[in-house]
Amino acid sequence: MKFAIAVFSPAHAPSSRRALRYAEAVLAGGHEIARLFFYQDGVHSASANLVVPQDELDVAGQWRAFIQANQLDAVVCIAAALRRGVLDEAEANRYQRPAVNLPAPWELSGLGQLHEAAQLADRLVCFGGD
Amino acid sequence: MATLHVIAHSPFGDERLRSCLRLLGADDAVLLCGDAVYALRPGAAPHQQLQQANLADRLFALDEDLQARAIENPLATAVDYPGFVALSLHYDKVNSWL
Repeated sequence: MKFAIAVFSPAHAPSSRRALRYAEAVLAGGHEIARLFFYQDGVHSASANLVVPQDELDVAGQWRAFIQANQLDAVVCIAAALRRGVLDEAEANRYQRPAVNLPAPWELSGLGQLHEAAQLADRLVCFGGD
Repeated sequence: MATLHVIAHSPFGDERLRSCLRLLGADDAVLLCGDAVYALRPGAAPHQQLQQANLADRLFALDEDLQARAIENPLATAVDYPGFVALSLHYDKVNSWL
């Protein structure tokens, strides 16, 4: 079965970690992830500039490793990202901002990608909250 | 269409749980995770609401969140992450109360 997973919370929220554990269980169960979509405060999970204390779980780092290891399609909502200062090189250049904090494997795109993922997948599962 | 309702917010902070129980269809199920598992602590109003809803085998809770909060719970069926995935497939849709 195909899953689309949408994350609405930042990396320091328990629900971002829960979404990651769920995504791992989806793949471990032999299913497919059609797309990961990071929306609203979820875009912070994609920032390369997060510095997590050594005794805490680096959920953003684990997301990046998980996406790279499984070559997943990980889309970050561009409107939500811009207003939160999460920029790839093209957007940093376009708006003349001094820093880039959205490297690969993440990809900035529009909300249409969430809609398409919902159509492609058998289940859309959203994660937010505490 | 049978729906799995996922609630992750504390039942003491807002009306999500109460609204969900009011709207719940006859074939729908509820999965509590994160701070929402506090609804399973006996003696408080949310626990009474869950008892009155009489969900029987349609009430689930994420096991790691029960353990993290030391909640003993005879009311809900505890599930792990593979169980959560299986529930997502068992029901036609997953509705998260974001």
